[in-house]
Amino acid sequence: MASPESVTDAQLIARCLVADDRHAFTELVRRHQSAVRACLRKLTAGNHALADDLAQETFVLAWRNLRSFRQEARFSTWLYRIATNCWLAQGRKRREELLGDRDADVAAVESSDDAGDPAHADHARSASLRIDMERALATLSEAERAAIVQCYHNDLTHEEAAYVLDCPVGTVKTHVFRARQKLKAALAAWNPAS
Amino acid sequence: MPHTAPDLRNSDPSDAWLDSLLAQDAALHSDAYVDDAGFTASVMSALPPAALAPRWRKPAVTALWASAGLGIAFALPSAVLDVSREAFRLLAAQPFTLSGLAAALVALGVITWTGTAWALRGD
Repeated sequence: MASPESVTDAQLIARCLVADDRHAFTELVRRHQSAVRACLRKLTAGNHALADDLAQETFVLAWRNLRSFRQEARFSTWLYRIATNCWLAQGRKRREELLGDRDADVAAVESSDDAGDPAHADHARSASLRIDMERALATLSEAERAAIVQCYHNDLTHEEAAYVLDCPVGTVKTHVFRARQKLKAALAAWNPAS
Repeated sequence: MPHTAPDLRNSDPSDAWLDSLLAQDAALHSDAYVDDAGFTASVMSALPPAALAPRWRKPAVTALWASAGLGIAFALPSAVLDVSREAFRLLAAQPFTLSGLAAALVALGVITWTGTAWALRGD
């Protein structure tokens, strides 16, 4: 029997559809959970609990709608699309908590003052960048944040981002342009020229 | 779909620091594997339960209907023959016209395409 890693996503999806194979779907969730949860953590500005709730909702919806997945995009891109829609729907329901579970990052920044070695300094700089980037992303509109996360953090093309966000490519480019203008202002302290 | 990085060729050269920051943050994002920690198990337990109907139900129901039909056909052979003969006679007595046939074909086409579109409708 082939190891789970050697089976493609398409084969696992076929098993789910033909034989209602839940073991195959378990493998799909195991493969993609990290990317989907990381994407949602970015979209929710670091709120890990909310991101995980939305990720669970994403996979349940994926299971229910697996028959409608027509392979016109990668499975991961389809999951990003569902995840983004879940996040947008949730945002409409209640005000989002902008600052999330970043205790570890904050602790790293605070403790970095005591540490003199370069490794600590690098770690603290990374944590500091994550915090400032999350705060900067929180200043964007939902559409702008989604466009930045899909294009930069998920490394999608504009065409793939347009599929995920269900809008024309030109709209994605506009959102990215506007988001960059806002990020420039929000992250001005990181500009070496300032 | 060919994969290419986001098109940054038109960005202002003075924004290089922002591109660099976004790239660093994206690298942190992609490097950080989110440990499963029971997530997959919680998703699987949240899935709707499998259909309760056993696998043998559909063929069993089909077999029952077939045996009921055969039973009626054997018990009342003359009745089945009479019904078939009358149905054919009624159909043959219909005055078929070209326009009537065309209208029937159009109606059949509309019903078929509507049914197909409904079956293939998006989510």
